Amino acid sequence: MTYWPLWLCALALAGVALIHWLLLGRMFAVSGRFTALTDALRLRKKDSDSQTSLSQEELMEALRAATLAEFGLSEEQAATLDAELHVPVQPAPPLLPKPKQSAAVHLLFFVAIALGAALSAHLAGAHSDRALFFATFGHHPLALGTVLFGGGLLVGFGTRMAGGCTSGHGLCGVSRFQPGSLLATVSFFGAGILTSLLLGALR
Amino acid sequence: MKDTLGTVAVGLLFGFCLHRIGFGSWDEVHKMFTFASLRLLLGFGGAVALLALGFALIAKLQHPKWAPRPIHKGTIPGGILFGVGWALCGACPSIALVQLGDGQWLSLLSLAGIVLGNALYAPIHARWLRFDSGTCAND
Repeated sequence: MTYWPLWLCALALAGVALIHWLLLGRMFAVSGRFTALTDALRLRKKDSDSQTSLSQEELMEALRAATLAEFGLSEEQAATLDAELHVPVQPAPPLLPKPKQSAAVHLLFFVAIALGAALSAHLAGAHSDRALFFATFGHHPLALGTVLFGGGLLVGFGTRMAGGCTSGHGLCGVSRFQPGSLLATVSFFGAGILTSLLLGALR
Repeated sequence: MKDTLGTVAVGLLFGFCLHRIGFGSWDEVHKMFTFASLRLLLGFGGAVALLALGFALIAKLQHPKWAPRPIHKGTIPGGILFGVGWALCGACPSIALVQLGDGQWLSLLSLAGIVLGNALYAPIHARWLRFDSGTCAND
């Protein structure tokens, strides 16, 4: 298909990142949304695992009875224990900062990206070119699947390790001269260039 | 509600633009990385230049509280792993979704890899690495 010229690419990428900030009050960062989404799934599972069948009151009553039995406490000492038990407990700090957007909204954002691309493909009546892709890796489903899944694993793991991807580090971090973003962007562009040159040489 | 609708609107616009730009094409990404075409590379650079102006203006007018993005132990290794993966599957995180919208159903594998890789990092980080990776999720 025919792609946008250089100047329009620059305008569109910058426009999306600026609109994201101006409209939503959040920095544009796609891998951060993946992190928030997978954390929401992981931590919800962990929360449900740790829940017991006893209610809070039943649990405290059972603990009190067990403590009295274990230490052979008198009623007077038990009253002291009761007073201590009724001291309001500070809520434990959450493991992670509460995400500002819910997992459902992150999911909606991802669906919207796919729909936007589908709309573009429909209106253009054309799809993204992949001739070089098949020329590089062949047509065997197992080979293609390994490259895509393996590549995806590296992308997911690496972006989270580096704390950002092309949007958060590459566009929004570099343009604000953030040292971590500059170094991450040099690293992933450098590794991408070396890998692609190697793939081209092997083709 | 406004936040949700705004997020969907930005997502639609972003997906449309990425598809027209050609980031959803493995071939175009490969040509960017091998310098066979400078369109995407210079387009990206131009976007960073425009954003530098835009964010400088926003910083001056709004005084926003932006989280700093310092260098940490994961910056270089994470960046390298991401770069190798991007060159292989042709997808940075949002691009896998663009490719799905484009009808590249094999990209479901890339997306599954990205989600799994992201999720796997958390326990590995907690067990062995334990530095502050400063995720974008806190912004």
